[in-house]
Amino acid sequence: MFKKILVANRGEIAVRIIKACQEMGISTVAVFSDADRLSLHVQIADEAIGIGPPPAVDSYLDMDRIIQAAQKTEVDAIHPGYGFLAENAAFARRCEKEKIVFIGPNSDALELVGDKVRSRQTLEKADIPIIPGMKGIVEDTSTIKAEAQKIGYPVMIKASAGGGGKGMRIVFDEKELTPALEAGMREAKSAFGDESVYLEKYIEESRHVEFQVLADNYGSVVHLFERECSIQRRHQKIVEETPSQALDPELRARMGETARKVMKVSGYNNAGTVEFLLDKEKKFYFLEVNARLQVEHPVTELTTGVDLVHQQIKIAAGEKLPFKQEDLDQNGHAIECRIYAEDPQNNFLPSSGKILYFKEPHGPGVRHDCGIYSGWDVPIYYDPILAKLIVWAENRETACQKMIKALDDYVILGVQTSIRFLKDLIGHPQFHKGETTTSFIQDHFADWTGEKGSEEKQKLVLLAAAFDSLHGTTSGKNFQMTKKEIYSPWLSLGKWRLGGK
Amino acid sequence: MEFEFLLNDVLQQISLEKKEDFYVFSYGGKTYEADIQQISPHQISVLIDDVSFRIYTAKDKDSRYFLIDGLQFVVKEPTEQVEGFRKGEEITSEGTLLVKAPMPGKVIKVCVSEKAEVRKNQTLAIVEAMKMENEIKASVDGTIKKIHVSAGDLVDSEMPLIELEPS
Repeated sequence: MFKKILVANRGEIAVRIIKACQEMGISTVAVFSDADRLSLHVQIADEAIGIGPPPAVDSYLDMDRIIQAAQKTEVDAIHPGYGFLAENAAFARRCEKEKIVFIGPNSDALELVGDKVRSRQTLEKADIPIIPGMKGIVEDTSTIKAEAQKIGYPVMIKASAGGGGKGMRIVFDEKELTPALEAGMREAKSAFGDESVYLEKYIEESRHVEFQVLADNYGSVVHLFERECSIQRRHQKIVEETPSQALDPELRARMGETARKVMKVSGYNNAGTVEFLLDKEKKFYFLEVNARLQVEHPVTELTTGVDLVHQQIKIAAGEKLPFKQEDLDQNGHAIECRIYAEDPQNNFLPSSGKILYFKEPHGPGVRHDCGIYSGWDVPIYYDPILAKLIVWAENRETACQKMIKALDDYVILGVQTSIRFLKDLIGHPQFHKGETTTSFIQDHFADWTGEKGSEEKQKLVLLAAAFDSLHGTTSGKNFQMTKKEIYSPWLSLGKWRLGGK
Repeated sequence: MEFEFLLNDVLQQISLEKKEDFYVFSYGGKTYEADIQQISPHQISVLIDDVSFRIYTAKDKDSRYFLIDGLQFVVKEPTEQVEGFRKGEEITSEGTLLVKAPMPGKVIKVCVSEKAEVRKNQTLAIVEAMKMENEIKASVDGTIKKIHVSAGDLVDSEMPLIELEPS
């Protein structure tokens, strides 16, 4: 087993992995950009190394700096987490060359599944159901119109090099095609450094259902059932659950077997996820392989009892899988909500700032994977995920109730978060019925403004504010108005008069 | 003591007095008794008519944040808010000062006429919004160049009210 692991990531996932290492008696090295000097992962790791300025390209994406940090601290292995270098085959190769174990798939498999076009070709040959789409990437814009015609509108433009909604565009008719293509290529270029895109049939009213897979270095491949991740905004998941309401045991077994086959055909090892689209008629199509630990991995852990990060590390260290497919089962229901620093009322634009006060929910069946603390400044440079709230219960109904209660108990003051939005989402009758599709938020929450607060609550807030003013009890600067010399009449207005006239 | 706060951008009033071991407050024309205890710098417990409420609180340099039953409220001081969300005037390309409506409302009265000379802090117009009157005052000495509204007009926020030539 490894003695020391470098975690090449930040935020909640770095914290999750560092803790897993510590549980296994493995020493940890955190890396951080200048913007993350005070981040939680730096504080809890055994060692921490600065790797450069805040922009990710100069720090978390800089292979040389991460390899140097690994060599300096003499680690046996690097865990890349998700995002950043996690699915970068060149980085995996570089680790192999430097004799550092990359905790993830081998670089050949990573390269294959990372190339969406080539993996489609490989899998099609193996009779894996694929969404109708182009056989290759877009090479010139003149042929693309013919291709789009052949596939049939609506079509989806996707980046060959990545996921996370970057570069993705839905096109409903030919007029929209060229501008969407240009925008998609620009976005792909800036997100992945590769502007290749391809076209695929856009399947309406579909669900996003993915299967977690573990594969050891000796050819043993198991799946750990599905996660339904249909609830998305800006093509990015925000609520995930398992089991999916759309699968019955027969379909589940069939999709699970397909997922195993995808990984076998790809020569894949370690943890990975096979994503499928499931249409209204319950036909499923292979979407892509996520060659990494997923953000939403905890729901699988809670329902299968398998710690995926422990397994990743053990597999990378050369251990065999300790179970076979028939040993695995799903127990109960788990839901995850991603807690983002963002404003749901303003197109989910990220918000930054200081977390003035933070208190996490507790209770039986409540898990909180978190990268924040009171007093921490949310940096503007990275994905604004703050934490993940995951609940487990015997059944979906109870899990929903538990989630709503946990969201109610969640306190984050100072930055905008998605907490209230998530609460309304979980409480929505269509969610309750399990009627979740990838357009759920668009269909039901396009005009969401959130509760403004009853008069009763407003009364309490004003009472608390008056109490605070009377005693000056809360910490922070004295709340005195300072009149600034600004060229504006509004500063000289005096106070508003209630019921004036 | 009387307090005025901007809660969710709406001005509200409340009065609070400390009695021996409890508090009396008035809000919305009613008076209540409450037991209020500060538990920690970020937690307040309130009892009103034997009903218990837990309020979380924090502040930064221009806002106070309160959270009740998972719902966050932002409380600001009235004038700070006005400064914070709109300047209320702009310098035009001709160098005149364009005074604009601070929020949607109704012009109750225009207090000046065109070509009139005004002194700093003189009331230019009165705009009513959300049942509250707002006197709009000159920020500098000058001459009224143009009046864009008249009494009874409904205005949107940022709509031009009066143009002023600073002297």
